[in-house]
Amino acid sequence: MSLKVTGLVEKARDGNRVSFQELVNIFQEDIYRLAYYRTFSQMDAEDLTQDIFEQAYRKMDSLNDTERFRAWLYTIAVNRCNDFLRKRKYLALLQIRSAQEQDFVTRDEDTNNNSNDRIDKKRFWKQVKEMLHKLSAMEREVFTLRFMDHRNISEIAAILDKSESTVKTHLYRALNKVREHSDFFEEYRESTS
Amino acid sequence: MKEKNHDHLPEGQILRAVVDEKDLPGEDQQHLRACSVCKRKIEQVRGGLQAFGKKAGQAVPPFSRPVRLPSEKPARISQNAGWLPFFGAAAMAGLLMFFYFMSMEIMPRPGLITMQSQENLLEDESLMRQISEMVENPLSDDMYEISGENGVDFDEDFLQFLVPEIQDDFQSELLIQGGIKRC
Repeated sequence: MSLKVTGLVEKARDGNRVSFQELVNIFQEDIYRLAYYRTFSQMDAEDLTQDIFEQAYRKMDSLNDTERFRAWLYTIAVNRCNDFLRKRKYLALLQIRSAQEQDFVTRDEDTNNNSNDRIDKKRFWKQVKEMLHKLSAMEREVFTLRFMDHRNISEIAAILDKSESTVKTHLYRALNKVREHSDFFEEYRESTS
Repeated sequence: MKEKNHDHLPEGQILRAVVDEKDLPGEDQQHLRACSVCKRKIEQVRGGLQAFGKKAGQAVPPFSRPVRLPSEKPARISQNAGWLPFFGAAAMAGLLMFFYFMSMEIMPRPGLITMQSQENLLEDESLMRQISEMVENPLSDDMYEISGENGVDFDEDFLQFLVPEIQDDFQSELLIQGGIKRC
């Protein structure tokens, strides 16, 4: 983590609100994307991002190692997303809300985009969901953190509180499953066949 | 050299190398260092995954609601605040002691209650005795002496004179009428 971020984390931990706001500005889009990759809903991802930073703000005192702020923040984010998904699944059981719900909400930004782009994105997320659906919870988590959130193995191990070898094992299994069912590796499959 | 070095790495080992090349057995690592074909396969997979991650990032709708921090500041408590529970316990004990002594001041002691009730009983008894005496003798001894009731025998005739006996209504009426006529 950069020295600037470490300095901000130290000040934020001492109760400096401005420093924490700067940390929010640095990380909010990463956390929003993390939430979107798990919920596939813009509205839910934005709500979760707000919740995650509020929780982090309240718990700043519990952060012992300022160097590990990013992993600590991602841990909060992953746990919060999992809580949300569990709740959504429970509500789906009660038929209050569909578990497969996703909002391709037509907002001002979306209406400005061309329809082909929207269709392309919709198709892409459909493929991603189908691909991730074939993985176990842990495989899905490590795959998403590694290739969508762009975290390295040691960071993933810290975020999930697992050993690096466990993370690698789940990642290898995830890749094995994904390569059979996804178009993302078509080029690779052609070259090996 | 084993035959697999000539046949290149199998798919499983390629994927293992994608995760971490150091996890491959020594022979496979050695093969990988020398084989450009296997290297290219690994790079293709990595490239595909990287492109996928990039596309995912681009396909996420724009973040339109910046985070707002809660208004109140988080309570900053020293990490060496081991005195806090002790202080809380001491304050609670002090409050309990205060209320205990306050209740002692307000509530009379049990011994005192017994003594007071005995005094009340005695007072009641003497009052009842006085009432009984007054019913029997409405006048005090001194007043009784002065009143002249003590030891005075009244003559029957005198009493008859004072309060004549009534025979019956008819006779008394005749007596009264006769008396009036005589007058």
